[in-house]
Amino acid sequence: MTDQLGALTTIFTEFYYWITVVLMFLIHVGFCMYEVGASRYKHHQHTLMKNTMLIPLVTVTWFFFGWWIYWAFPTGPGLAPSIMNESAALITDESTFSAKWYMPNTEFMAVNLGDHISGVFWAAFLLFSWTAASIVSGAIIERITTFAFGILAIAIGSVFWTIDAAWGWHFDGWMLKLLGYHDAYASGVIHAIAGGFALGVLMVLGPRIGKFSSSGEPRNIGPRNPWLVTVGLFLIYTGFWGFYAACNIPIFDLGPEYGMEGISYWTATNIYVTPTTLSGITFNFLMSLSGGLLAGYWIAKGDPFWTYSSGLAGIICASAGNDLYHPIQAMIIGMIGVVIAYKLHYWVERKFKIDDAVGAVAVHGYAGVVGLIICGFVLNGYPSSGYSVGAMWDGSTYASINPLGQLIGAFIMFVVLGLIPGYVLAKILNGMGKLRIPREVEIAGLDYEMMESAKEDEKAVSSATR
Amino acid sequence: MATVTNWIDHLNKPAEEVAGAVYPGAGSSETLLVILGVVIWLGWHVLTARNESEELSRLARKRHGANDHKNNVTDW
Repeated sequence: MTDQLGALTTIFTEFYYWITVVLMFLIHVGFCMYEVGASRYKHHQHTLMKNTMLIPLVTVTWFFFGWWIYWAFPTGPGLAPSIMNESAALITDESTFSAKWYMPNTEFMAVNLGDHISGVFWAAFLLFSWTAASIVSGAIIERITTFAFGILAIAIGSVFWTIDAAWGWHFDGWMLKLLGYHDAYASGVIHAIAGGFALGVLMVLGPRIGKFSSSGEPRNIGPRNPWLVTVGLFLIYTGFWGFYAACNIPIFDLGPEYGMEGISYWTATNIYVTPTTLSGITFNFLMSLSGGLLAGYWIAKGDPFWTYSSGLAGIICASAGNDLYHPIQAMIIGMIGVVIAYKLHYWVERKFKIDDAVGAVAVHGYAGVVGLIICGFVLNGYPSSGYSVGAMWDGSTYASINPLGQLIGAFIMFVVLGLIPGYVLAKILNGMGKLRIPREVEIAGLDYEMMESAKEDEKAVSSATR
Repeated sequence: MATVTNWIDHLNKPAEEVAGAVYPGAGSSETLLVILGVVIWLGWHVLTARNESEELSRLARKRHGANDHKNNVTDW
């Protein structure tokens, strides 16, 4: 970098994404606390380690292939040509944003004085990956093996969510072009897919022992430590600020980008490179959080567990369009999402005997799907991409945001890339006898040996005289 | 192994000629490092899966009751 203004812009962007990564780390801290608080005493330590170990597993696989998938798959492949090279094949050519530069053995995947952005952008997306895997983790506590969860975490965190991000979040993604898909803050690309994946796994994994009576009535296995759950959810709220900021590009000149000659327009943009402001999304983040909390407190009759979760569900539901909504629209959409997610959770639990230990399928999956669908109506007619300002190489433009496109998009996220892969992988792991812990261990508690050993140590120390 | 041995020499070129990658072994070791990383990753799964299977089998054989863990609650 040799000119000061260019250097400032680059290093500001680098630092901006770095800060989002630090903030998003709190999401994972929150998820860990939440899960431990929700699990029973005899499973605490294994529950914590299961969620913790997804950090290194998803990170190394994100380095090896997850990041490459994101840059290679926007075209499908085979569904819509790239605007960069006009080919519908995997993007692995010499294009500026080709996956070729993000192979794990390239010089851009390391300390590189000529590239200040790849590492922080890679990390921001990686933290989204952790979130996707962590959403699944909560639903399946107290009965899955750590081995099986590791495989599932890699699948959702480094494969399936990154495919959906390439399809529906990348500026060159086929879902934008053909469906007019819009999901600015990831109602679908993170939350709906992770909720669907969790549901697919739960269908195979089955409920915790004792969750349902012999007549099929569900029993409440409430959080063992509601205060840890509370702090965990507050930390997730806090980390969510970083998540929102990370979905933006902080400073960008859209004039040249859109091919507008002689026009310069500096702004923040969303992930699709269309203009928004950090200020505007701050309105909507807080109003959708508030809508979720208000609706959750009402519908759950003041139950703290659901009220806190509903704050999250409110944000998740409004996230698809929070780059453009009015704050009161965001609040109302958040409220609608919460009511539907809450009702669906208990209906699915009773009807299909699904034991979602923390309500993750509802809070992330159902609220995400509802948010995508509502977005199609409220933002109907908006351009899905700034690149549709001018005609593409073949004279067509990106599709506009529309209800049908969002509905199909929600189906792709929740079912095609979420539920089906989760179900199939869980079936395979179950067939190998590796999915669920033995019944005797579930009854005794995963931590039994650790606790027994600690008790022995305690006896030895307390009887010691020197 | 050092890619840079003198920062003044390294930076005292036209901007487009300054090599970006400055880690040890730049340009020659990356593929080998990736292979090593993948072996470590997969090996970890094998080792920890074996440990977990042994632990679960051992615990399952003992058939503890649902409340037996309460005898193991420590005071510290």
